[in-house]
Amino acid sequence: MNPPAILAASYLGPEGHGNDLTGLRAWPASLNEALQRGELDGLHWSLVSDSDPSRFARMDLMCRLGLMAAELLDAGFDAMPEARRERIGVCVETFAGSLDTDIRFAQTPRPSIFAYTLPSTVIGEICIRYRLKGPVLCLVSADAAGNNAAVEAAEWLKLGDAGACLCLSCEALDRKTAVAAGLPGHLPPDGWHACALLIGGREGAPRERPFAAGSLVEICRKLCSKPKRAC
Amino acid sequence: MDVAVNEPAVAIAGCGAITALGIGIEPLQRALPAGTSGLRNRECTVGKTRQAIIAGWVTGETLDQLRASDPGHAGSRAFLFARAALKQAGQNAGNLLDSVPPSKRGLVLSTTKAGIDALEKLVRHLPCSPMAQRHIQPAWLAADLAVACAAGGPVQCVSAACISGLLAIQQGVALIRRNLADVVFVAGVDLISDFVLAGFVSLKSLDPEGCRPFDKARIGLSLGEGAGAILLARCDLLPSPSVRVSGWGTSNDANHLTGPSRDGSGLVLAIFRALARAGVAPDSIDYINAHGTGTPYNDNMEALALRAVFGRRVPPFSSSKGMLGHTLGAAGILETILCLAAMQAQLLPGTPRLRERDPAAPESLLDHSRPASGLRRILKINCGFGGTNGALVLERELP
Repeated sequence: MNPPAILAASYLGPEGHGNDLTGLRAWPASLNEALQRGELDGLHWSLVSDSDPSRFARMDLMCRLGLMAAELLDAGFDAMPEARRERIGVCVETFAGSLDTDIRFAQTPRPSIFAYTLPSTVIGEICIRYRLKGPVLCLVSADAAGNNAAVEAAEWLKLGDAGACLCLSCEALDRKTAVAAGLPGHLPPDGWHACALLIGGREGAPRERPFAAGSLVEICRKLCSKPKRAC
Repeated sequence: MDVAVNEPAVAIAGCGAITALGIGIEPLQRALPAGTSGLRNRECTVGKTRQAIIAGWVTGETLDQLRASDPGHAGSRAFLFARAALKQAGQNAGNLLDSVPPSKRGLVLSTTKAGIDALEKLVRHLPCSPMAQRHIQPAWLAADLAVACAAGGPVQCVSAACISGLLAIQQGVALIRRNLADVVFVAGVDLISDFVLAGFVSLKSLDPEGCRPFDKARIGLSLGEGAGAILLARCDLLPSPSVRVSGWGTSNDANHLTGPSRDGSGLVLAIFRALARAGVAPDSIDYINAHGTGTPYNDNMEALALRAVFGRRVPPFSSSKGMLGHTLGAAGILETILCLAAMQAQLLPGTPRLRERDPAAPESLLDHSRPASGLRRILKINCGFGGTNGALVLERELP
């Protein structure tokens, strides 16, 4: 296996949304104020994709953000042969996990949201959308920077367990929900975000960049702030 | 698949458990030959309805004993269960820990909902201790358990639905293989809370008569609660032959959030990955401990997957869910402990609560436990929400 390389990166956070090709775009003015306050209910699929939003509409906040970050990667999963997608793993790291949905479910139990009371459900949504069948892992970590996901994914590549891996760091706890439940201390220290990094073996692809382990949030924010096209 | 020749092999050095059957692994060892079930009826309020729920409840007697031996637990049941199981695992490993400095002791926690019972209290404006509130967050529960175990090395928390336990073992093995730790405590814990009950009742997933895995008339699962813990160690630190974790694999169905793929293809991938990592052929597996929840779809899917991997010669297999219930994030670890007990007793475990076997299940389904000489290699499988599948190969070292 070649040394791992970054094949694509995306970022959504208070600063905006984008990937390593397009750079970060600002949020629409109608949404921006609420997003800066950490109120995330207005995030919508149409901000990142023209495709069918019906599945997105039933998802919880964490899955919405995670799927938006995966879509923003623009990694071309749909065009890949099945054998390749079967070897693409998904590794998620989060601090707040599904707590936003947990609070909502504890207040009003509804079968339609029970499946979303797991931090790993976002893996299922990503795998369903892009038909990915590789190894999976979901880590809940005390630091919300995503320091472990890419390390674990790189290990899969090294051992040959996966051909590529989508790493995701996702924090989607709505501030109003957390405060109302008496859990402001459970808010991620640096607010909300979703960022995705696709790593795989070096093949000389145009977007390729060297991979070094570190905070997923910092890596993605940096790559999306300095897009490849502008280099 | 690459083989890293310089990485240390990893074995299981000790175990501990808090389950519906009581405190420790001895109740599990005693229950295996007869297939004793720990499922019991308890009156609960689910939503606004009072109803009897058959589940693997940790008994009041067990809870009283744990509280009496640990008066400073400060109100988090998840912490109380997991810490007790971890303590047993350390003691069960003899004096192994004496030679391992805290910086080389890691901990991996597996849980789906950690101390979720505290969240229920908060939304109902009931009193809730700061410690219990803290343990709503799985990572903080893991951190506090690491302190309790003097595990000053790497700490991770895995939460990936019902394969969490197998993933946690896999992560524990990885920490040792990467030389980040010499020993790793792996604990799984989950509670039957109003939250969890409301969810499974709303999905109509529970069997009102109690689960009957692989039964012709099965209609659902039974929940369970408790904690399981194992202590993983570098093989060369152990004085005598032990049981190694030799293979592991996971996959995603990419099919459905709450139901398994109909054809079992995702589980097949996970099993083949685990067998490849272990470097063994399917026909070398002596026994399979299935996920076997008792839901019609899960057990059907597993039957298909086992046939796809093993063809006409599916090794003897059974489900342990009728013994302890489905303990969610603890399931992979508690069921691995049952596999170890089976190896130790040289016994093929049966399927508690099975009445009439499903004709669609492979013929090698074990309804009752039976002696087995030469039980050496076991495949443990679990599947979960989000289409996740996990497989683990356990291998008894020969003297």
